[in-house]
Amino acid sequence: MATMTRRWGMVIDLDKCTGCGACNIACAQENNLPIFKDDSDVPKRVTFLDLIEVTNDKDPKAQYPDVKVAYIPKMCQQCSGNDPNNPQPPCVSVCPVVATDVGDDGVVSQIWSRCIGCRYCQVACPYEARVFHWWKPRYEGSFKESLNPDVSIASRGTMVKCTFCSHIWKRERDKAIAQGVTDINAVMYTPACANACPTNAIIFGDLNDPSSPVYEPKLQKDPRAVRLVHSIDELRTKDPSEYEKRIKIKEYPNPKVYYLTSQQWLRDKISGFKNS
Amino acid sequence: MKLERKDFLTMIGGAVVGTGVGTLISPGPWMGLQWLVEWTQDQYRPPKGEEKYLASICDQCPNKCTVQVRMIGDRAVKIETSNQGCAAGQLLLQVLYHPERVKTPLKRTGKKGKIDFEPVSWESAIADISKKLNDAINNKKQDQIVAINPAFPDATAMLNERIALFAGSPHVYQESGYWALSNACSVATQKTEGAIDYDFENADCVVSFGARLFEGWGNPGRMHKVLNIWKQKGVKFIQVDSIATRTASLADQWVAIKPGSEPIFAMGVAHYLLKYGRRSGAANFGRFTELLINKFTPEKVSELSGASLETIESVAKALLAARRPVAVAGKGGKVVSSSVAEFAIVQTINSMIGSLGNSVKVVTFTTPAKPAIAKKTKGLDEYIASDMTCDIVLINNANPVYSSVYGQRLSEKLKKASTVVLFTSLLNDTAQYADYIFPTLTSLELPYTGQAVTARFEAKHAGDSLLAIAKNTSNIAAQFPWNSYLDVVKTVSFQTKNVANLDIPIDNIIAKLEELEKLLQASGSYSISMVPFEIPVVGEGNGIALPYVLKALPNTILKGDTSWVWMNPVTASKEGISEGSKIDIESSRGELDTVRVHLTKRVAYDTVAMPIGFGHEELTEYGSEKGVNPKPIMSDALDPLSGYADWWLTRVKLS
Repeated sequence: MATMTRRWGMVIDLDKCTGCGACNIACAQENNLPIFKDDSDVPKRVTFLDLIEVTNDKDPKAQYPDVKVAYIPKMCQQCSGNDPNNPQPPCVSVCPVVATDVGDDGVVSQIWSRCIGCRYCQVACPYEARVFHWWKPRYEGSFKESLNPDVSIASRGTMVKCTFCSHIWKRERDKAIAQGVTDINAVMYTPACANACPTNAIIFGDLNDPSSPVYEPKLQKDPRAVRLVHSIDELRTKDPSEYEKRIKIKEYPNPKVYYLTSQQWLRDKISGFKNS
Repeated sequence: MKLERKDFLTMIGGAVVGTGVGTLISPGPWMGLQWLVEWTQDQYRPPKGEEKYLASICDQCPNKCTVQVRMIGDRAVKIETSNQGCAAGQLLLQVLYHPERVKTPLKRTGKKGKIDFEPVSWESAIADISKKLNDAINNKKQDQIVAINPAFPDATAMLNERIALFAGSPHVYQESGYWALSNACSVATQKTEGAIDYDFENADCVVSFGARLFEGWGNPGRMHKVLNIWKQKGVKFIQVDSIATRTASLADQWVAIKPGSEPIFAMGVAHYLLKYGRRSGAANFGRFTELLINKFTPEKVSELSGASLETIESVAKALLAARRPVAVAGKGGKVVSSSVAEFAIVQTINSMIGSLGNSVKVVTFTTPAKPAIAKKTKGLDEYIASDMTCDIVLINNANPVYSSVYGQRLSEKLKKASTVVLFTSLLNDTAQYADYIFPTLTSLELPYTGQAVTARFEAKHAGDSLLAIAKNTSNIAAQFPWNSYLDVVKTVSFQTKNVANLDIPIDNIIAKLEELEKLLQASGSYSISMVPFEIPVVGEGNGIALPYVLKALPNTILKGDTSWVWMNPVTASKEGISEGSKIDIESSRGELDTVRVHLTKRVAYDTVAMPIGFGHEELTEYGSEKGVNPKPIMSDALDPLSGYADWWLTRVKLS
């Protein structure tokens, strides 16, 4: 079996996102997210993908009608850390029971059944992408019928998060192996959110593949590309020496999710919450 | 060999230590601990099974997107929409497996106004309703039969309509929405039935007068494809709206206007088109021109709409510079509120720019031949507002008690009717006044494509139930030759045609604009404008019954059970309101339950932006009593040409 060379990543074109919610619903269905009657209360709800509505209306200079609104589908940003040989995203380095780790495909895994619920990872995550099960997940009556057997049901008191639907990749690998394809790099897949997006705003692929729309070296030069709360990226061209210094800090996230937008206010908001 | 006591104890000790160490280094304790954890938490394991995919369709809008259903054994676990459609397709499983789905026909046991039913057999329910229909026909009381359909037509709606028409009743209505309103415009101005259809795919400039094109409007699946086409081709898109909606932010230019002034702004654009030499061969265009020149000068339009002269002119120039421009009417998202006059003004613009009958067409819903019976009232709201009574009401997948601004009045009518039949998969507000409830299958359970998920109950699709009722009603049975609903589906289709003629309903336009002018300039106690907005996943309100929808709602709209309305901080400051304040909103029609205020500069001044789709009295445990429904206090001014209330703009006061 060949060595894994792919690094899964995602690019989300916010200028094409209408906020329709298909990604959010598809994610919930695919990952057996629990159902609570008061899920309309954001702090209580369990989601892997938040569809965050953002506007520039908190900018003191912005006045009606010079106001805009956009949606940011925010999931686990699948941080890489700063050492490609030993990826240590902020959440992984703090987990005392190795319930979360980085696979050779770059995906930050989360094993619900190994989690002891200490919530260190939730505190460490710069993106609030991790959710804690305060209550036992409920799937009332016949909703249980639609549960996906590929994703285990998390217990109360455990931490959960997006895994780029890595169970789908496993499923596709199993199918490929059954057909005699043993090259792990031959198997591609699409997470539920990317598959559901009706405007193709969410694109998933291999950050190492030059032919992929998510080819990372190309994204790093794309003036529309921006990463979530990652203003450090701006230094790459503006001040390379300072950039090199800063990326060596221990908790450098280096996420594998890129956002695209031509809107400067949105770029500011995503990268470092300027003027907001 | 002699066994010393010491050796014996050593052996026993060794065995105990060995067993202990062995057990500890084996998976046994850990497996036991895991079992204990799972047992104490009653952890559920979804059953495994053979994986396969079924081809199906999503029937939530006329686009009828194809979907793939991932099956594990006989369970459907995922809908694969493959980058098409909208969130509705993803929600099909939430409908299919909703624990509160109606499983059998239900018959009322208690007083109307409550959910109080008992199961009843299909045969007896169908026989009773058929007998009532036959009796009404035989006793010449056909006008007591009413059919109400949802906002978009389909084969089920056709069957419901057919029952009423062949029984001899003129009372066939559909819920207010884009189809009903633009159809009313086609009938009034182009002498043809059908909704207005815009050639978005080939347009190079689109001006939308309040139509929130990418927030559930029209066929969302189609509109999502259109957005990609526009991005690729660089189509100029101008949105006219009073709120910074997502559609406004996706547009190349957002023209911010005073709430509800879209028709007046459109008159301003028409004025500039006239100034730049554009004319129309439409009937009454001369009088329309007089109206533009004498009444709706750019200065006047600017004053009433709040848009600058330069802005009005720039929109006209954008239309003039394009090869295939399109002007779009139909304010709202999935829920549309407008008037024939407003549609007609925008159609006149399309006529002036040469798009009518070209980029702007009419899409008709063709059905088998049916009797032409003169209508007594044009639209559902006009019928509800009238003094006409009803006795047998067939309501197909609709919730008019909730959706109509006359909902309260309708509930009174339904209370007096002897036989109110509701076809629905989930009990809703209207079910409180129904005598019979018929369950309906989801599109996944119907073999549209030859494949289907096994039906969860011995339920029928609403189309099959209506067909059964019709075939059992001897007076009309001959008009229903089909064996099943799937046979009926093959007899209907959507067809697009070019209709270039236009008869401008000028007197209606003058009256509407005068009414609007008064409303916009209203002063006194009702000094605030209230306009609606919606969340695409909630839509007209059905979405809130599905729990995964709750996960997609921002806290600035619904938090727990409380609705939040939006207000500009400048207005709020004037009114002494701060973020999170509790306020009461009152119009001339009544007062709403208390809501909270979210301050945002996305909303025009002196305006309250009101989320719609919430505040159901009855819609499963997830959707009931969540937020408020503003319809009871919204404007109930009837549009004489459509027969629907134009509730977009309501003047309110806050306390």
